[in-house]
Amino acid sequence: MVIDLTVNGVRHSVDVAPETPLLWVIRDQLRLMGTKFSCGIAQCGACTLHIDDRPVRSCSIPVSAAAGKSVTTIEGLSPDGTHPVQLAWIELDVPQCGYCQSGMIMSVVALLKRHPNPTDQEIDAEVTNACRCSTYHRIRQGIRVAAAKVSAGGGTL
Amino acid sequence: MSNNLPKMKLSRRDLLVTAAVATTGALVIGFWMPQRAQTQMNHPDGATWAVEPATEEVNAWVVVAPDETVTVRIAQTELGQGVWTSNAMMVCEELQCDWSKVRPQYASANRDAKEMAPKWTLNVPGNGATDSSGGGEPQFGTRDPTGLAGIPDTLYRRMRTNAAASVKDGRYYLQLAGAEARELLLLAAATVWGVPVEEVSSANSVITHRPTGRTTTYGKVASLAAQTPHPNPERIRIKPPSEWTLMGTEQKNLDVPSKVTGTAVYGIDVHMPGMKWAAVKSCPVYGGKVKSYDFERIRREPGVISAIQFPIPDPQLIRGRIFGGGVAVIADSWYQAKTAIEKMPIEWDVPPEYASLTTADIRAKLMASLDEPGKVGVNVGDCDSAFRGGAKIVEATYSVPYLPRARMEPGNATVLVTDDRVDIWIGDQSPQETRRSAALITGIPETNVYLHMCHLGGGYGRNGNGPQAEQAIYVANLNRGTPIHLLWTREEDFVNTTYRSMGVAKLRAVLDRDGWPVAIEARTATDEQAPGQNAGFDVAARYFAPNYRFSMHSGRFHIPVGTRRGVGAPAQHFYRESFMDELAHAVGKDPYLYRRELIARTNLPYKADMIKALDMAAEMSGWGTPLAEGTARAIALEERGAEGGGHCTISAQVHTVSISKQGKVRLMRVDVAHDEGFGLVNPLSVKKQIEGQIVWFYNDAIHQECTVKDGRIEQSNFDTFPLSRIDEDPPQINIAFFKTGHWLDGMGHDRGPSIQSAIADAVFQITGKRYRDLPFRNHDLTWS
Repeated sequence: MVIDLTVNGVRHSVDVAPETPLLWVIRDQLRLMGTKFSCGIAQCGACTLHIDDRPVRSCSIPVSAAAGKSVTTIEGLSPDGTHPVQLAWIELDVPQCGYCQSGMIMSVVALLKRHPNPTDQEIDAEVTNACRCSTYHRIRQGIRVAAAKVSAGGGTL
Repeated sequence: MSNNLPKMKLSRRDLLVTAAVATTGALVIGFWMPQRAQTQMNHPDGATWAVEPATEEVNAWVVVAPDETVTVRIAQTELGQGVWTSNAMMVCEELQCDWSKVRPQYASANRDAKEMAPKWTLNVPGNGATDSSGGGEPQFGTRDPTGLAGIPDTLYRRMRTNAAASVKDGRYYLQLAGAEARELLLLAAATVWGVPVEEVSSANSVITHRPTGRTTTYGKVASLAAQTPHPNPERIRIKPPSEWTLMGTEQKNLDVPSKVTGTAVYGIDVHMPGMKWAAVKSCPVYGGKVKSYDFERIRREPGVISAIQFPIPDPQLIRGRIFGGGVAVIADSWYQAKTAIEKMPIEWDVPPEYASLTTADIRAKLMASLDEPGKVGVNVGDCDSAFRGGAKIVEATYSVPYLPRARMEPGNATVLVTDDRVDIWIGDQSPQETRRSAALITGIPETNVYLHMCHLGGGYGRNGNGPQAEQAIYVANLNRGTPIHLLWTREEDFVNTTYRSMGVAKLRAVLDRDGWPVAIEARTATDEQAPGQNAGFDVAARYFAPNYRFSMHSGRFHIPVGTRRGVGAPAQHFYRESFMDELAHAVGKDPYLYRRELIARTNLPYKADMIKALDMAAEMSGWGTPLAEGTARAIALEERGAEGGGHCTISAQVHTVSISKQGKVRLMRVDVAHDEGFGLVNPLSVKKQIEGQIVWFYNDAIHQECTVKDGRIEQSNFDTFPLSRIDEDPPQINIAFFKTGHWLDGMGHDRGPSIQSAIADAVFQITGKRYRDLPFRNHDLTWS
């Protein structure tokens, strides 16, 4: 079945079984490898991307659910790694192994779009991705730094 | 954006692959070059594996290009611990190049199979762990040609990433490598100018002839340096910490930019033309194998090509551990392979003696072993007499569960076998062992095995990689000419990992009338194959008792056990530090001052450092000042190597913990006093390791447990094996360092296991209940 979807602003038609998880279309067909596979059951969030600005766990959502919609992956955040959340992550040296960080960053971007200056409770409730290296301490600081950058006019989400 | 990696060039090695594949024919569509194809298709800047340089290397670790780019070859694997950066810092401290021009790249394990290490890297300079100007005292100091147990004499020496030993074991020869390269570059400049080399010096890649002020650069003289051997490399000396200018400074990790843009290449990201995917099911009972499977039922599923049964991976290749045999289904895409294999009927041949085993059976055997003689590790004085005559006896039995590493990247490897060559793309903590596995499975010599190293999506213990490479090599060897990317599901990753062994311990002490121990006896029991059984109790008591006995007990179980982060230490620290809290409370003494006094009574070589750590952590935390109801502080000592006078890392942590009346635990604050020895290589990475490990071990303390039923591990994914999230990270982590007079042990583990005993003690202080079995989610923590 041919499914049309827009990924990072580019329109694609993919011929794929409609129940195929969006993650595998993104990775195998479109070869955007930043979005990661880890649990396959929507638990860990390593596969987080946006559909119409909403964070979803792409390992557990069929590609058909993204038909006609706009998908954003880590590669679509900025052409050169200068999205304010990416810059904050570099400033605080957040990643360790880094495997979860694409999904983590996508969750944080979605959080900041809804809550430009999030409370700790909002962070806890909405950034539910797992980081096995447990880089959470710097993630929380990174969210604050990114929020400050955006509110000071240093980039848009 | 750039992450400091060079654009790939077509190399002789690529052409060899092309030629090899072209001659085998099958399934190859046109000409292709794995390294170049991969990088051009997906990650022009993110790939990390060894490529042949355009410029001749100065030495095996350093390449300087005409544009002043410095490639530094890294022989360990970046899995979050910062080695990509810290190894480069050790080389560049001596090289004195422009740090902003440094691009790490993985060292070639293939070259390591063909070339021997330069002689000047073989001997450790100086006088061991307490000589600040020397090379320290490598943990794996014995030479071992296989690289399995010691450091081999092959080109890159130790390529393993384990035991938190990358700095400890590699520092002296990485500093020497940087120094040799610098001296060669200076010599080349002196030759060009016709001046004595003594008149030439360098900084930031600029070489200056001091008498005349003439300058040149590393890039301009590198090709001459590459062709001129060092006249007397045995005389090269390394800088002591007092002369460091790069080491000891906080440097951002060089892999981070690629990890925030999704361009970092992990093993799972490797794609190449003609590549097929394999999904796997292994017998969930270790030691079991496939009895039958029905490929006909899935033959017509989309994309499916074939199925291959594989035997129990040869234990010789994986440190004697026995996993299960299984089946791989090969398909055009991994999702197709995985979907198909889940529909394929598979019958297992399970060893009957394991078929009904449960956690309770294993625990019962371990408990029973505690009453058997065991292997005596330390026996000082006469414990038996002391217990007969003591005033007050305190006894406690503790336990910890089986635990996997559960790294985020599921096990995978991409392997291409042709008739005379093996190529493996992988994130791997032990490339020399994988190289050997490839040779033994395929019959192709190690000198024709090429590992293309990728970053690893979490490691946490070398054995955690399981037989990912061995399964993939086996399957690819039966599909010669086709690159096979084998990837485990999360569920398979649980089946194919080694576990931290379940463990139990019985600690007993007899106390005098003032509450001080007259005798301490510690018995621990774990799987007999479990590494690190003596950690934390060996050689000498960390807390003084005139009579001290430590014995190790064990049983043999079929769950494969391995080196999970910290190896034996996290469990043993939980037992030991919990028991010290119990003793202090039993006699109404302050747990901090009780520890302090008992350390002061020992003859341990670093006891002053241990006392310093306790004092600092207590002071930082406001120890003794009032806290809100439902909040408590607990202190513990963390030490690795404190008993022997060699390399050592000492810290103390105070954890401030609150528990709601409903039993919800919240870690509020952690104060860490941490040994920096003669110096840290990258203090930023050390802080990150401490922060991360606090939550890693909190996770162990509160949530993590694997149980056994019907001979198999019951947990298989993050729904049944929960992971801590950001809401469990403590709001405050305060870290302070103090200098000591020894070289450090590593930072990759043992930096935070004290959270386990601290939570146990906070629970006791707040609720009055003492729990001795991890994890705490199994216990009722409510209070009123």
